[in-house]
Amino acid sequence: MSDIRAELQDVFRSVFDDEEIVLKDEMTAADISEWDSLHHISLIISVEGVFGIRLGTAEIAQLKQPGQNIGTFIQMLEKKVKAK
Amino acid sequence: MPNKMTGPDDDVLESYIQADASLRAGLFKSFIRALGSIFGKPEYDSASWARRAISCDLDYFSLHKLRKFLPPAAGAPIRLAVLGGPTTLQLVEVLKIFLDAEGVAVEFYEGEYGLFRQEILSPDSKLDRFNPQIIFLATSHRDLSRVPKTGMNAAQAAATAKAELADWFKLWETAKTRWGATVIQNTFDVPPWSSLGHFSGRCAGSRENYISRMNCLFEDSAPMHVVLHDLRALINETNGQEWFDPRFYLEAKMPCGPKCLIVYAHSVMTLVRALRGRSKKVLVLDLDNTIWGGVVGDLGPGGLVLGQGSAEGEAYLAFQEYLKSLHARGIVLAVCSKNDEDKAKEPFRTRDDMALKLEHIACFVANWQDKATNLREIASRLDVGLDSLVLVDDNPAERALVRQLAPEVSVPDFPEDPAGYARALARQRYFETVSFTEEDGRRTDYYAQNVLRKELASRSEDISSFLASLNMVARIQPVSDLNIERAVQLINKSNQFNLTTRRYNLEEVRRIAGDPSWSTVTISLKDNHGDSGLISVLLLHQEGPNLDIDTWLMSCRVLQRGVEQFALKHIVGVARDRGCTEVVGRYSPTEKNGMVKELLPRLGFLADGQDGATTRWRFPVSAAWNSPHVHINLEVSR
Repeated sequence: MSDIRAELQDVFRSVFDDEEIVLKDEMTAADISEWDSLHHISLIISVEGVFGIRLGTAEIAQLKQPGQNIGTFIQMLEKKVKAK
Repeated sequence: MPNKMTGPDDDVLESYIQADASLRAGLFKSFIRALGSIFGKPEYDSASWARRAISCDLDYFSLHKLRKFLPPAAGAPIRLAVLGGPTTLQLVEVLKIFLDAEGVAVEFYEGEYGLFRQEILSPDSKLDRFNPQIIFLATSHRDLSRVPKTGMNAAQAAATAKAELADWFKLWETAKTRWGATVIQNTFDVPPWSSLGHFSGRCAGSRENYISRMNCLFEDSAPMHVVLHDLRALINETNGQEWFDPRFYLEAKMPCGPKCLIVYAHSVMTLVRALRGRSKKVLVLDLDNTIWGGVVGDLGPGGLVLGQGSAEGEAYLAFQEYLKSLHARGIVLAVCSKNDEDKAKEPFRTRDDMALKLEHIACFVANWQDKATNLREIASRLDVGLDSLVLVDDNPAERALVRQLAPEVSVPDFPEDPAGYARALARQRYFETVSFTEEDGRRTDYYAQNVLRKELASRSEDISSFLASLNMVARIQPVSDLNIERAVQLINKSNQFNLTTRRYNLEEVRRIAGDPSWSTVTISLKDNHGDSGLISVLLLHQEGPNLDIDTWLMSCRVLQRGVEQFALKHIVGVARDRGCTEVVGRYSPTEKNGMVKELLPRLGFLADGQDGATTRWRFPVSAAWNSPHVHINLEVSR
């Protein structure tokens, strides 16, 4: 598992307070029942803090858009972290 | 750690707690792992470790991680309604973490986003059913409803601001009359995207001019039950770019960027803490490399880096000036230094360019004992709890030791550069206050006088002749407009000498003072060494033949002076005047008021059963009662 994926999984487990979460590419916001707007922002804040990056307004909204999933989110993160 | 076993990873936990923030970041993961391994096992105290780890230096993610190890604060909760213009979800989440860590129990109510006006003004709102004691109006510049169009003339702009202010007054007054609630009201943040640039301030019809005008109006005219929370100070402290990061407003209607959220929530916590009377009281200063550069024992007073002539010397002087300004507003200063006392005092005596003088220091401890022991000594000499102390020390090793051995003391991190000291101290907001009375400015004198009295007492042959030598004179007055602010302050912050620890806000006390079935009593005391000011409040309630001591509290700085006996004499007098046959008292134990557990029996009250942890006591008002001998004379006033 890539570092980013492992770190992101750690963020998910912490934000949703569930140590069982295992990230899969095809996962979306709908797969985690706790995923409301509060958790969404907590997630974004945590992702920005942990990876030291800044997400754009559209990227923040990305995870909740149709056709987007954890896989595409991780791709986006990898690109941003590399560009740091 | 109270009565808990030592755990397998105590060294990991301890090294995290002792370290400064810069080092803690690297230790965080192992700390959380160690915390996880003892979590849920009742023989270990994971909660206490989590509580000690919470700080405003942590980021959102770390706070979130710590949250699950942090149980809600114990005790009777205060009902706090948070009503936002922007959404308050994330803010409340962090605020709750800080309050739990401080041990301030709170029952939260969160208003619907943007509906604060309706919730306060409509008579059958959910807020009304919640019956708040504190309403935090977490508003922002977007919640001004009448921002003028650019180009409006000065008279129109002033009239608009006046109408706007009336709207806010209506909210504040409703909070007061309907629930007797205290309001914490944000001032308005001024966003940086102005249309007129530097000219904004000169244009009466500009948004920036209008927002500034509203802030001035709030500061000049908000009533006493409204506590202002200054967003501009937070922006100063954090970063305007971060504060006005619009992404989070756009995505989630958040009031500010997430990095600022921590500082914001922490800052609100310090005001709630102040309202609960739990702000810190004493600042304990190290000397060498803290208030001057260099080691006085090596260099002598003349060799120290201090004052004009070098940038670093000016930095130390500026820090001294800041400490002096804290002293002037009533923060008690003490010294705790590893030095010979004479040598430590020499710069104070011999250097004219010291901003701090010995007269500013209420308690001076310089010796070669460890600092934790010395801090306990200082707390005891000043008659304050260890948790009222804040230590200012440049040495990370000393800070670590005190964090370990005296965990109740607040020990902020300091940078190596003295230029950053004042800011490092100020950002912790240890000393927030919700009022400033004349007495506060004189408070530091009381503490200094008290240390003198104690020295005298230790030299006197017997306590009675010591008390007689003080020539104490007390003044008894009911609560009135003249003293209500100070009375309310004491009611809300006295923790130790307080039989029932019932908190009442300004409106509640005003109501009690105007109700004929109540007698309110304040006692002020002075003696040879100075005026202690208003030091005791009693709220007595007549219920038929009984006079009930609803509240009896006293400032700890007049302990063991016979004020208790003097007060009882007066209580019995009130009971007689009212035709009561019994005085009824109660002791409700808290973590802090153990010192008055035996007060009532010691004064001759008889046990009268228990309600839960609260013990009940009664005192028959018989004609044959011999009042105790006290060395306090009653000043006959008007």
